[in-house]
Amino acid sequence: MKPQSIARLASLFILAVAGFILMMGGYLWLEIERVSKEIQAREAHSARVEVVEGLAEMRRRALDMAQTLALWDETRQQLAFSEYYTLWRDDRVRDAGMVSNRVEGVALYDKRGRILAPAHKDRPMLSELPGRAPLALLQQDRDGGHFSLFLPVYADPEGQILLGHVGIKFNFLAELRRARTYQFADLEHLRVTLTAGSSIDLERAGDHLSFATRSNPDLAAFHDLFRASLLRLVIVVLVLLFLAAVLLVRLLVRPLRAFSLEIDALREPGGSLPQQPAQASPLPILELDNMRRSFNDYQARLAELHTNLEQNSRDFHDQARRDALTGSYNRRAFDEDWKTLGEDRRLGRVALLLFDCDHFKAINDTYGHQVGDVVIQTIAGALHTALRANDRLYRLGGDEFATILRDADAHRAEMVAERCIEHVLSQDFRQYGLSEPTTISIGIALSEGEGISLHELQKRADLAMYTAKRPGSRKLVFYSEDMGGMAALVGNREISAVFQAIENPDLIELHYQSVMRLPMSTKEYVEALTRIRFEGELIGPDAIFPIVQARNLDMEFDLAVLRALDRDLTQNRLPAGQGVSVNLSAPSVVNSKVVDALTAIIRAHPGRKIVAEITETALITQIDVASDNIRRLRDAGCLVALDDFGSGYSSLRYLASMPVDLVKFDISMVHLLESGDRRQQLMMEDISSLVVTAGYQMVAEGVETRELLDKVIGLGFSHAQGYYFDRPQAPE
Amino acid sequence: MTLKGVLLLALCWISLAAHATPVELKLSGKLLAKAEYREGAPSKPAVLFLHGFLQTHEFPTIHRLIGGVADSGHTVLAPTLSLGITHRRQSLACEAIHTHTMKDALREIDAWVKWLKARHNGPIILVGHSSGSVEALAYLSGKPDPAIGGFIGISIVEGRIKMNAVETARLIKEMRLAVKTGTPRVTTQQFSFCQKYQATPASLLSYLEWTPQRVLDAAATLAPPNLFIMGGRDDRLGEGWVGELKKRNRVIIIEGANHFMDGEHEFDLLDVILNELNTR
Repeated sequence: MKPQSIARLASLFILAVAGFILMMGGYLWLEIERVSKEIQAREAHSARVEVVEGLAEMRRRALDMAQTLALWDETRQQLAFSEYYTLWRDDRVRDAGMVSNRVEGVALYDKRGRILAPAHKDRPMLSELPGRAPLALLQQDRDGGHFSLFLPVYADPEGQILLGHVGIKFNFLAELRRARTYQFADLEHLRVTLTAGSSIDLERAGDHLSFATRSNPDLAAFHDLFRASLLRLVIVVLVLLFLAAVLLVRLLVRPLRAFSLEIDALREPGGSLPQQPAQASPLPILELDNMRRSFNDYQARLAELHTNLEQNSRDFHDQARRDALTGSYNRRAFDEDWKTLGEDRRLGRVALLLFDCDHFKAINDTYGHQVGDVVIQTIAGALHTALRANDRLYRLGGDEFATILRDADAHRAEMVAERCIEHVLSQDFRQYGLSEPTTISIGIALSEGEGISLHELQKRADLAMYTAKRPGSRKLVFYSEDMGGMAALVGNREISAVFQAIENPDLIELHYQSVMRLPMSTKEYVEALTRIRFEGELIGPDAIFPIVQARNLDMEFDLAVLRALDRDLTQNRLPAGQGVSVNLSAPSVVNSKVVDALTAIIRAHPGRKIVAEITETALITQIDVASDNIRRLRDAGCLVALDDFGSGYSSLRYLASMPVDLVKFDISMVHLLESGDRRQQLMMEDISSLVVTAGYQMVAEGVETRELLDKVIGLGFSHAQGYYFDRPQAPE
Repeated sequence: MTLKGVLLLALCWISLAAHATPVELKLSGKLLAKAEYREGAPSKPAVLFLHGFLQTHEFPTIHRLIGGVADSGHTVLAPTLSLGITHRRQSLACEAIHTHTMKDALREIDAWVKWLKARHNGPIILVGHSSGSVEALAYLSGKPDPAIGGFIGISIVEGRIKMNAVETARLIKEMRLAVKTGTPRVTTQQFSFCQKYQATPASLLSYLEWTPQRVLDAAATLAPPNLFIMGGRDDRLGEGWVGELKKRNRVIIIEGANHFMDGEHEFDLLDVILNELNTR
């Protein structure tokens, strides 16, 4: 059942009571009407009884009068000697007071019932008795009803000697009225229903009389008084009911509604009942006050509980958004803040900084996860210190951190980023057993009213960060439009291509670039450069390797490349006997599976010169494992080249002990020979001299001109490659 | 207790023992008269009482005398003159239509005398009260039955018209003319004790003709022994009437008694009557 408001219930109650009162009033009204009709019926009966009694009384009185007349000596005188009958009839009888003035006519009849003399014209009497006396007749004449009584007249008291008859006649209605007092019968409207000229015995007169019942003034007055009283009573009760309704509304409904509204207000957080009741009722109600106090206490307890819950919720919320290892905000908090940032549309001047620990996987794999965790904690602490108090640091996963700088331009973002780099560099990681410096790469993307989306800003920061992680790149990189080519790094299509290539190495298309033997510039072997043919398009290394590195797919991808190389070699896509070099990432160098796979290729294709190009990163992070694996490769007949020399730390200590055959100078180093200043060129000359002195063969990358070729030849490089010789191309 | 009281008690006792018998006498085909008859000792004279004007034998004065006389052993007959009304039981009102005449009354008296005579062998004493005395006197002045042995007139009246002699003579003349012409008109006169006496001319005339003088003359010439008993305080009589009566008749005056001899005087009356009867 749907709950109803107290006002509606109170209204319904009042209406129900009013309806009940009206119904009772109506019932009383009908009851008094019924009683009135009953009384009227009784009065009608009483009226008829009165008339009947009146008839009897009228008859009795007339009989007394007639008997007196019949016993009167003078009556006998007239019956015996009627010479003066008319005188006697018209005067003597009345003068003697034998009949009252009410008697309309007196007549004497002989023994046979014949009138002694014609009646007076004004007082007509029956000329002959209609039957044997005594007779009491109701007659209907033209002038109305009459009552006639006829008695025999005897000479002797014993009634043995009949002398004749005496008859007296009355006005019926007048005599009936005089017969008695009528309380109920209304004789004013009495009517004899006989036809004119007819007569009946008085005994049956009641059946031929029509009369009304006298209106009972007491009953009518009582009826009117009762109805008026009932009406007044109903009105008074209804007025009182209305007043009661008003009082009910003021004293109960309004306070209850106010109280209900107060309770409704409790739905609002922090809402509470006022300590003092609302001024809705002039009359304090104990139960309401008690209820109010109870609800206040209850609300206070609820508020306290709510506060505790809120605190717990905040704690849970904070914990859910905190990274357990570093105490910084986690990926969820980052996403939420991103979302909030987007909703607030405060993307006008936002700088997104993505931090990534360089070579963290190598550190993790080399020194163990505990050390890795400590390194992450240390980096997080350094970044916390470097950031402003209001700038949140998020750990997005692994060694990747981020911060969002609101209302920041490029200058400020760069200052913050540099401060972060400095703080990280200032940390003493040696206390954790690390012998190598730990650095971070920072990618920065700015939104300065460009109206770019959050997703685009994240993508740009990713690209900038991947750029920063590239060998030889500055550790702090702002996104620029020319990084558009790296969009694949974060594009779903490229990522899909990388993963599918790992599963299906046939998608990997190896392009080969010649590595020339100097100074004669004869092709000694070719370097296998990875491309992925995906959906008819060729995806280059600029898109592939950032994804591989970002997803830590180095080992898996290198295995796929090795299977593609084995495919090409098996299918003789390269000229017989032609050597080939393949790049191994740092994680692959320390992975036995990759080493095993490469060893299997060497064994499967004897007679071919196989060169494994590794980066110095592998040597730096896990030098022991890397050295053992390199040794295994060399034992299998594989040459090892240190790739990208000069783009990283290029530690001379490592250079002295690196178990490699070739040192492949990074293109940035080689190009110093053409574009560098003198000091740089001298240093290049000294480094190349130093490498040669250490017993390594040197390979120059990026040789694109004859002049540069001459210079590298002059510096003692044994090998060179670059566009001067050929571009990477697919095998025929 | 006085002697009168003792006597009254004795009379009451005796009256209880006497047997009153209502009797009727058919006078004609339409008239029947009623009377009270008490049979007494045959050796004593019978008494026939005649009531006053328009009265019956039950008039108190007569009624008391009937008892007293009957109780003394006399046969008593007290008729009620019919006055033209059969079975008359009531006093006839002055205003009634009087058609009866003195002649009718005398005829009825004669019939009752004969009725009594048939039952009593001794003399019959007529006792009349008031106008009954006049009627008895009229009867006796005519041809009375030989059985009549005496007459006692109680409170006899001198006449019944309240007129002087001239007016009375004129009225009588008118009545005679009316009777002669057969005019049936009823006349109303102040007559006797009636202020409005309504009668036919013949009726009224029959009584008017018995003037005071005629009464005195008739009384003076009565053959049977007679006695007039008059009340000392009878105010219904004309002035000098008792004196005139005494002139030629034996008159006993009961002092203090009125016209009706009621009260204690009824015993005096009875004593006088009984004494008179005892002398016959």
